[in-house]
Amino acid sequence: MIREIQKRNGDVVPFDSVKILNAMSQANKAVDGENMTPTDLLFLTEKVCGCINEDICNVEEVQDFVEQILIKYGYGKTAKAYILYRAEHTKIRNTESDLMDIYERLTYSYAKDEDIKRENANIDADTAMGTMLKYGSEGSKYFIDNYVLPKDIAAAHINGDIHIHDKDFYMLTETCCQIDLIKLFHDGFSTGHGNLREPNSIQSYSALACIAIQANQNEMHGGQSVPNFDYAMADGVRKTYKKKYRHLMNQYFQIRFGMTEEESKEAIDAYMEQLKAPLTMGNADVIAEEIRQMQMPNGLSVEQMEELHRYVQKEALTMTDRETYQAMEAFVHNLNTMNSRAGAQVPFSSINYGTDTSPEARMVIRNLLECTEKGLGGGETPIFPVQIFKVKEGINFNPGDPNYDLFKQAIKTSAKRLFPNFSFIDAPYNLQYYKEGDYNTEVSYMGCRTRVLGNVYDKTKEVTCGRGNLSFTSINLPRLGIEAHGDIKKFYKMLDTQMELVIRQLMHRFKIQCTKKVRNYPFLMGQGIWIDSEHLNYEDNIAEVLKHGTLSIGFIGLAETLKALIGKHHGESEEAQQLGLEIIGYMRQRMDLESKKTGLNFTLLATPAEGLSGRFIKIDQKKYGIMEGITDREYYTNSFHVPVYYPIRAFEKIQIEAPYHALTNAGHISYVELDGDTCKNLEAFEAVIRYMKEQGIGYGSVNHPVDRDPVCGYTGVIDDVCPRCGRRAGESVSIEKLNELRKKYPDVPIYH
Amino acid sequence: MTKREMKTKEIGQDIGFDRIRRITGYLVGTTERFNNAKRAEERDRVKHGI
Repeated sequence: MIREIQKRNGDVVPFDSVKILNAMSQANKAVDGENMTPTDLLFLTEKVCGCINEDICNVEEVQDFVEQILIKYGYGKTAKAYILYRAEHTKIRNTESDLMDIYERLTYSYAKDEDIKRENANIDADTAMGTMLKYGSEGSKYFIDNYVLPKDIAAAHINGDIHIHDKDFYMLTETCCQIDLIKLFHDGFSTGHGNLREPNSIQSYSALACIAIQANQNEMHGGQSVPNFDYAMADGVRKTYKKKYRHLMNQYFQIRFGMTEEESKEAIDAYMEQLKAPLTMGNADVIAEEIRQMQMPNGLSVEQMEELHRYVQKEALTMTDRETYQAMEAFVHNLNTMNSRAGAQVPFSSINYGTDTSPEARMVIRNLLECTEKGLGGGETPIFPVQIFKVKEGINFNPGDPNYDLFKQAIKTSAKRLFPNFSFIDAPYNLQYYKEGDYNTEVSYMGCRTRVLGNVYDKTKEVTCGRGNLSFTSINLPRLGIEAHGDIKKFYKMLDTQMELVIRQLMHRFKIQCTKKVRNYPFLMGQGIWIDSEHLNYEDNIAEVLKHGTLSIGFIGLAETLKALIGKHHGESEEAQQLGLEIIGYMRQRMDLESKKTGLNFTLLATPAEGLSGRFIKIDQKKYGIMEGITDREYYTNSFHVPVYYPIRAFEKIQIEAPYHALTNAGHISYVELDGDTCKNLEAFEAVIRYMKEQGIGYGSVNHPVDRDPVCGYTGVIDDVCPRCGRRAGESVSIEKLNELRKKYPDVPIYH
Repeated sequence: MTKREMKTKEIGQDIGFDRIRRITGYLVGTTERFNNAKRAEERDRVKHGI
């Protein structure tokens, strides 16, 4: 018989059964239709006490018994109210003490010792601004949990049924946006802190692209993507070429023919006026042809003029190429060094390219890949922007395609630098939107994997540019697998309940987002980056235009879910694969149904899960203990991936994961891990990419070790000892030795 | 590398290797910034034969 009870703070106090009675009574009063008489309450209290065999019991255990007894004796609603009441109290208890405890940890610990400071690997939480950002973020979460979220939703997040991503931004903004730079640059733009004229050279194009990404990143909580980088930068190259051509011709006239500045200008104007074809790199021959029919300025002969044109155009091409390289190099360097969010982070940027076949765009892509391969100032691998090469048959996939050479170059670059990743326009679910020559219909990915293309809100705007994800929330799928105890029907029933809850939560957040005005997003909405926002005024509400965005449910740990349900994951058994596809297919159907019902874009996401990878499983380990193949690691397997630890051939992994890409319309990615130095085996690399395309993968990439010794600059695979300078991690090398090494390897950093 | 380190004659004391890994689609410059779960996942990854 229980005599004493241990409180949460460890104190042991005499047990008092009236407290149990009161708690049940209160929960009962909160629901309709399950009236308990005082006799019922006494009976139930006695039953709860009867469950306790120990002399001393702790509060949590007693509460577990209360839940069990209520359910056992048919008070389901009361039990639910009791669970909520309990979750609510746990929540308040946790937050009150935890918030200050968190602030203390943020203040006095280093990121290397504190997991909480490493939620997102691209934020340096050891810096002043990084810590400030964390204070804000943790304080905001406290506020959202306690004052904003409906109680059951807050409880579901806290107990690990669901995960509301970027919860700290719940009241503020949306996830991400795909920026159309062509539209933005037209007639110039304002960042909210100053006006910028329409850029006139490739160098200004690349500089302004960085500024646009940075400005937009500061108004959203996710990343920024440029879906048409090649098309957009090609305009800049065109302008630079034209300028160079004119400049060179002017020099030529003055030096060769002794014209004055004035005469030269007149001659050029007269010549340009007669040109019918646009003055572009691709038109060199057409223009030469035109010259033969032209009135020559200042008594020049046709031969002289054609010779001049040939020279000027060749030189202009070389100069433009050099400037394009510098512009791309500056772009990559800037995006790896400039700051956003009060200096805590470099802008989270992605660029998509590969399909524009104009000579200008090809020049952009070639140079971008070249400088990516070369690396940053010290030879480091650029982390940003995430680069995505868009693969398309007839454009760059096969020998003879106009950009096939660039596809090959992309493979070579990725084999050294991990970027670019590859997206596949020919996958049926991407191809259905594709219109030849219209970049707005080519699938584009955020670097992390988000995809926005279909549009149930407005079928005439099934496009990439100006759209993005509004918010997403993930479901703890493995927990449902565990709770189902092998009963698939029960699993689906619980999945239904969970999806209903998340849909309600996404709508709750959406309504908050809809209350905002253009003035809250001076760049995103004020400069017309978000689709249709160009028709709004500063004080207008953004509710309507937001409907172009997506509301997504995500998931983690399909592999562990299958393990829990039938003992095998989809890498191990065909039966598990079928069940996996059925589950994810079911979730997708539910999203499609909700889209149909509401006219909003509800989509299914293979959650990226950086911070989430360890969160659910930690809670589930406490709840269920260590279960083999399910809760026995520190992380749940990402989305629909075959577990990282499971040995499987590359092609088989691709084959298994590809069908899930078709189902997860909010985004997906598959990787293959290749061994050793992939630069030495480009055929294997290409074979993997080609197989991804053939199998219907939407977005994929190849992982391989890229290690670097910052001391001697070696990039490649480093096990324990650096193959170049011979040091181990933490050991030093003499400057003399490094100077010696530099004679052989020019990329050894210089030390003064 | 800090400026001070550049002035000393020996370079590299306490400096580790950068290990660049793909995390969820994007890259991270060094696994030191990974959270514990992601570190474990990275450690467990096996190579896929062709």
